[in-house]
Amino acid sequence: MSVSRRVLLQTAAVAGMARGAFAADSIKIGIPVALTGPLGGIGAQMRRACEFWAKQVNAKGGLLGRPIELIVEDTAANPATTVRKVQEMVERSGVRLITCIVASNEALAVVPKLAEWDTIFVSGDNGDGRLTGESLVPNFFRPNVSGPMGTRAVTLWLRDSPMKKFYGIGMDYAWGHNSMDVFESEAKRAGKEFLGAVFSPTGTKDFSTYITKIRQSGADGCYLVLAGDDNVAFLTQAKQYRLGEKVQLLTEQVDEMGINASGDASVGLIGGSRYPAALDNPDNKAFVAAWQAEYGRLPQMFEGDQYQSCVVMQAGIEKAGSIEAAKLRPALEGLVVTSVKGPITMRACDHQAEQPGFVVKVVKKDGMEHPVPEVIATYKADRVTPPCNQMVYTD
Amino acid sequence: MDLLSFLLVQCLNALSQAALLFFLGVGLTLIFGIMRIVNFAHGTFYMLGAFLGYSAVRVTGSFWAGLVLGPLVAGGIGAAFEMGLLRRLYKRDDSAFLMVTFGLTLVLGEIIRLVWGVDALQVQVPDSLSGIVFLLDEPFPVYRLFLVAAGAIVAVGIWQFLERTRLGLLIRATSQNAEMVHALGVDVNLVRSGIFGIGCGLAALGGVLAAPLLSASLGMAGNAIIDAFVIVIIGGMGSFPGSLLAAILVAFVQVFGTYYFPDFAMAAMYLLMLLVLVVRPGGLLGKEA
Amino acid sequence: MRIFVCVALLLAMAPLGLPLFAMTLLTEALILGLLAMSLDLMVGYTRLISFGHAAAYGLGAYASGYLLLHTSLPLPFAVLAASVLAGVVAIGVAWVCTLAKGVSFSMLTLAFAQLLYAVAFKWTSVTGASDGLAGIPRTAGPFGVTVFQTKNGYYYFVLVCLLGAYLFCRSLVASPFGAVLRGIRENEAKTLSLGYNTRLYKIAVVAVSFALGGLAGALYSPFAGFANTELVFWLFSGQVLIMVIVGGQGTLIGPILGAAFFMLLEHVLSQYTESWALFFGLIFIGFVMFAPQGIWGLLTRRARA
Repeated sequence: MSVSRRVLLQTAAVAGMARGAFAADSIKIGIPVALTGPLGGIGAQMRRACEFWAKQVNAKGGLLGRPIELIVEDTAANPATTVRKVQEMVERSGVRLITCIVASNEALAVVPKLAEWDTIFVSGDNGDGRLTGESLVPNFFRPNVSGPMGTRAVTLWLRDSPMKKFYGIGMDYAWGHNSMDVFESEAKRAGKEFLGAVFSPTGTKDFSTYITKIRQSGADGCYLVLAGDDNVAFLTQAKQYRLGEKVQLLTEQVDEMGINASGDASVGLIGGSRYPAALDNPDNKAFVAAWQAEYGRLPQMFEGDQYQSCVVMQAGIEKAGSIEAAKLRPALEGLVVTSVKGPITMRACDHQAEQPGFVVKVVKKDGMEHPVPEVIATYKADRVTPPCNQMVYTD
Repeated sequence: MDLLSFLLVQCLNALSQAALLFFLGVGLTLIFGIMRIVNFAHGTFYMLGAFLGYSAVRVTGSFWAGLVLGPLVAGGIGAAFEMGLLRRLYKRDDSAFLMVTFGLTLVLGEIIRLVWGVDALQVQVPDSLSGIVFLLDEPFPVYRLFLVAAGAIVAVGIWQFLERTRLGLLIRATSQNAEMVHALGVDVNLVRSGIFGIGCGLAALGGVLAAPLLSASLGMAGNAIIDAFVIVIIGGMGSFPGSLLAAILVAFVQVFGTYYFPDFAMAAMYLLMLLVLVVRPGGLLGKEA
Repeated sequence: MRIFVCVALLLAMAPLGLPLFAMTLLTEALILGLLAMSLDLMVGYTRLISFGHAAAYGLGAYASGYLLLHTSLPLPFAVLAASVLAGVVAIGVAWVCTLAKGVSFSMLTLAFAQLLYAVAFKWTSVTGASDGLAGIPRTAGPFGVTVFQTKNGYYYFVLVCLLGAYLFCRSLVASPFGAVLRGIRENEAKTLSLGYNTRLYKIAVVAVSFALGGLAGALYSPFAGFANTELVFWLFSGQVLIMVIVGGQGTLIGPILGAAFFMLLEHVLSQYTESWALFFGLIFIGFVMFAPQGIWGLLTRRARA
């Protein structure tokens, strides 16, 4: 049975609607997500959030009175496959709305074709600054936190910290360099000293020589722009070299998968979080409670962010009364949506959602199998969101 | 850090990296040297070892159990695969092995994903090895020293096995002239299955040992196979001392090269491979011209 | 020849009958088919097993993508220029690789492909590094020839390229040059002793193979609208090799079928199960065990029986 039909039946069972009624009447949302390959873990989280949201909405009668149908396809985070799968969704299944793409380079490959497909893409986790900067297209919307916003939250926190000198290590590709650039300029404007940075190739397994380099630099803190297996390997090995005792490790985003995989090695790590589950507001409390009931655990970072994006999509569709790009686009621009992170505004100028930034610290808690991220600072939207179409800040 | 302690730490960094690379390469070169099979699935057996190590620790609480269990299970699967499928292909040309082992990579990789899931899994360093030693005032993980020692022990062990034991002699003889060995009354098929199994087991051993450093994850196989190929090519396909030499060479080039020229980190290994192949097309200690 | 004309006509009529998305798949299948066929010249006819053919594809894709993005060169010229570039680069690569034979040759091809991958990954200004080149336009010709900007127009362009390349390869293989290649495949030492400079022939076939593989890549990037490092990844090289072998090496047509088969299988399987890689692997193993002549071998055997 195809994956999409499976989801369809689940939502049908919940909504108690007849199977035949769907095909013509449903609202189809394309989910071209990486389910296999190294990013499969993130993809699984994002898809889960979409399914959870769709189930909730369908249980209350659907969207605009129509059931939501998720068309899920595996892209394995290969941009060529992503483009092909979305093309198929558009041409074969009549999809006009997509979300839940995992990697920024997949997003960057898809974005130039949105106009040709007359399709709106609402990002769930794509953080590359250029998506709302030089690569912005009218059909792209980003309700989630961008990479520069994460870095900004961390550097704002550093302004009040006694640490003076910073070194950096990042993965040697677009995200690594961009994030490091933002950190460098922000740290310097905070009056700190930036000693330099080193970039490791994707897939580096042995970080011993990088750890030695960081030690040599004499820095108080080290900014990490690492993800996935590289991130886990670095944290694990850094712990073995007792690096954390000498140098405070900082990072752009702290996500639970990395913590779970590196265990105690990530204790003491400080960084940005796109969605901390412990946020205290009514929407989040309801979300977390429902999530716990469904999955028996707290929602993780990518799940929360993707869920917020789904809620934004929903608000836009309800306001527009349609999923057609021509109507949905203006409906989303300027829209204020209240969800798990409180009220956020979908800016018209660059389609980025203005929202608060959070800094967390990884701590060990009794009774929890893995360490958890604890919020240590919150910054308001206007401090963390960059000016329109920009990736740099001015204050 | 002064120069002396820096050099010492970096040298040990390189040696521990060499140990991991050696474990990765030695199984592949043995299989190729004896059976002329390019085992595309080698990286997947490495990954299997890491996951088996994880499970062994989960179930028994002992890392050492994983060190034994991982290679045994992987070796068993490898030997079974050889007996069931590869054996029928010896009459055919080499491309058949390539395809079959590529198919095995896909199948085994997916089975691993189904059994252990998509998330990276942490494997704890055993408590006895989790400390640090101070070398000229710089901390260095005990586990890495253990890796260097383990690498040396296995290297010597294999060398002695091949040179001194009867089975080792049979193995070397089979690689040179299988028919003659068969004529002497030895079950060549069994020897071949054994070799393939040992090769896969060694890969898995590398995986178990690497797991506390890297965590067991699905992306391991892809990286591992290319590293294994490079080691074996530089050392010479089929040369056991070659794989040892290559592992040390590559590790030192990477550790010191990355330190001084981080931009070339990615290309360094391949440039080295190219350089070696142009000068000595068979690899450093290879037998082919 | 008759079969060729029939197939060509059938393919030419495809846009009339096939639904929109099937046309997209077919276009991509033809491009991959061209790539696989180009590799067959090396693998099937000369026994030069290359683990680095993705390099040809990537070179072509990046070259045409770069030309289309940064110059006002019309599409057909950009594609042609990219293909020629790939062929020229191949001469240098082949010159080094043919210093070795057998497995060492294969490993050298792998080394070069990985180097190209590393360069593509780092050379941000030209290749866009890990993000690749996006938004590649299909620049209209100087006479306002915009036919390639339509779906069907581009399909015919690809079809013409593939058919032309096929005819070229067929005549190449049937020519005295092809006979020498087969001689090298069967027994290089003997061919050498007959007075042929086998190394030069090998370099030549690699150059042609890369030029055609580069043509495939050059057709791909305007089709998809982007080019990135995944196109040069060694895993893709392995997949192309599989396409050739599964399709039936040394037949030119076999690899084209192999490419189509591979692509369709991956596409269809991934819709039905997340474990598509498992079935994919099993199918390959099945082919090796029971159908070593590949798909083309199966088809022609049935026809004869």
